[in-house]
Amino acid sequence: MEKITRRELLKKGSVVGVGLTTSFSLGKKGFAQEVGKKTPLPKIVERSRESNLERMEKDLQRALQKPLQERHWVYVIDVKKCVGCAACIAACQTENRTPPGVVYRPVIHEELGKYPNVTRRHIPRLCNQCDNPPCTPVCPVDATYKRADGIVVMDYDRCIGCRYCVSACPYNSRLFDFGEFYAKGKGFFPMMPYENVPTYEYKVNWNRQRGKSPVGNVRKCHFCLHRIERGLLPQCLVTCLGGVNYFGDSNDIRSLVSELISKSNVMRLKEELGTDPQVYYLL
Amino acid sequence: MENRRINIFLFLTGVGGIIGIAAIIYRLIEGMKVTWLTSNFPWGMWISYYIYFIGLSAGSFLFSTLIYVFGRKELEKAGRLALFSALFALVAGLLFIWMDLGHPWRFFYVFSHWNYTSVLAWEILFYVCYIVVLIVELWYLMRADLAHLRDTSRYGRRAFYGTLALGWKSPATQEAREDERKRTMRVAAILGAIGIPLAIGVHGGTGAVFAVVKARPHWYSAIFPIIFLTSALVSGAGLMTFLYAFLGDRKAADYPLIVRSLADWLILFLGIDIILVIAEFLITWYGDIPESTTIWGQMIFGPYWYVFWVGQIGLAMGVPILIYLFGRTSTTWLGIGGLSVVLGIVAVRLNLVIPAFTVPPVPYLDEAFHDFRFAFRYFPSTTEWITSLGLISVIAFFFLLFYGLLPMVRNSEEYAR
Repeated sequence: MEKITRRELLKKGSVVGVGLTTSFSLGKKGFAQEVGKKTPLPKIVERSRESNLERMEKDLQRALQKPLQERHWVYVIDVKKCVGCAACIAACQTENRTPPGVVYRPVIHEELGKYPNVTRRHIPRLCNQCDNPPCTPVCPVDATYKRADGIVVMDYDRCIGCRYCVSACPYNSRLFDFGEFYAKGKGFFPMMPYENVPTYEYKVNWNRQRGKSPVGNVRKCHFCLHRIERGLLPQCLVTCLGGVNYFGDSNDIRSLVSELISKSNVMRLKEELGTDPQVYYLL
Repeated sequence: MENRRINIFLFLTGVGGIIGIAAIIYRLIEGMKVTWLTSNFPWGMWISYYIYFIGLSAGSFLFSTLIYVFGRKELEKAGRLALFSALFALVAGLLFIWMDLGHPWRFFYVFSHWNYTSVLAWEILFYVCYIVVLIVELWYLMRADLAHLRDTSRYGRRAFYGTLALGWKSPATQEAREDERKRTMRVAAILGAIGIPLAIGVHGGTGAVFAVVKARPHWYSAIFPIIFLTSALVSGAGLMTFLYAFLGDRKAADYPLIVRSLADWLILFLGIDIILVIAEFLITWYGDIPESTTIWGQMIFGPYWYVFWVGQIGLAMGVPILIYLFGRTSTTWLGIGGLSVVLGIVAVRLNLVIPAFTVPPVPYLDEAFHDFRFAFRYFPSTTEWITSLGLISVIAFFFLLFYGLLPMVRNSEEYAR
């Protein structure tokens, strides 16, 4: 069920009140092109017994047929299955071409017990895309906001880089792009060709250059929004070798994620803070 | 004698300021990578100096209202000095937060894309209103003296004072001048009264910027903005004691009295501040919620122990109290006590910001990924030190320059003599 908090109501009201100007300023670069245009979705080969991946792809396509505000993306992580290989981190860094130190989904390795009776567990931590995000209201310039489909996005062109949202996130899910490169600036290395490749976050090609966005901006996980809007699952999910991750629309009761999060072995990080995180952990 | 001392400081701060400006230009070109901040340690020395100077400003201003609103006439000579340092400290604070932005040239977005839910955005509005009140009040208090200086000086200075006086002419007769003076004091009282909630908003609000962050248990308490305010009053009184003890008119008959009275206020505010800090510590300690107690542990025994013991306990509390107890007769010592507080409050500000980031909010996140920019450790880089000290030098340079030029302590009657 969609719950409308008072803040949302006020926000919606003010949007209506301010009218055209706001709608123009909210029409962000990338998403603006997509209005009224249907992207061709990839074909899925039908098989007698479908895998989770195929089911999630179908869920995704079904969700994309609906208008934006009727989708609600959630992410489910089966902690038991995670082996801590960090392939998802590498995949995410490659997909979003994040600079050194900017890692959207670190995997926390926790060691339990006392030698010799020890065990480890691995907990991937990505942006929780909270339904009541503490990071968006603090932004002094409204450069970060929650989309109708539940994803908290950044407006790189507007962010002034004050890092208030970084402090305000209880999960440390927000990261700052300090403008460093993997090779350039380290000794006498020149800029490597792979560092010139633009990132395609929010469906816009961003060339990382000194003083230009996203350098000097706060960056965060967005569930690979540019991929899911094209009918592709998040990069970390498809890379995972253990099938740890699930992604889908929780407003669709037939989807795999709805099935998973309705079970009893579900928990979320720091629920007590009232952030209503949308990344679920299966125990 | 006094002029020569100021000239030495003008030279020193001028040289420091030039180095600082060079470092700031370097930072603006290279971006935030010149800092040793990390994604998990997003705020560091510059933000600490930002709240430090905003606090110094609010403290000095609230101190000036003791004179203009609450009628503490014996301190009147320190009044303009207080307002003037409030203005300069605010500018310093704003420059520090500006320097801390990832995109400094987008600073005007806080006006053009103002977000009403953000405490920081409200703060920027508060700063703007506050700066207007400060300038108007200062002008009202100085206009007669500015006009006098304009009429008695020539060439460049005449033009300078003429511009600042905005064509104001003092009435010819003594009686009318006395009337005018009374009216000025009334305006100062009104502006001061408007300024009190503004100054509380300016610094209590700066505390609220941190206090509303539920993600950081170290900040998330109602006492946090109050501690901001009391330590602001402490730093304001400390600055006034220091400035007046060293820049005030030593030959004046009431000079020792004013310095001592300033020190009395300093110790009063310091006492309240200590009570609040002890209250917060004891309650956190008794409650023993790991997220809060580990941060206090980090602060007291952790990697930055010296900031707490040397700065907060030693310079900001111990030294002034000892001086007050044993060296109250010497105005120089009281001035040094004021300086000690002004320096020690830097440590207090560092301790308000820095420890909150030392403990990972999600357990073991610090070991999840190994990169310099993902660390939970922080020490200011060379550029951060040089830009900070340089920016302070620039502000001190202009402060001293204007101190020499403007009727800061003496008034027109004394100039005439």
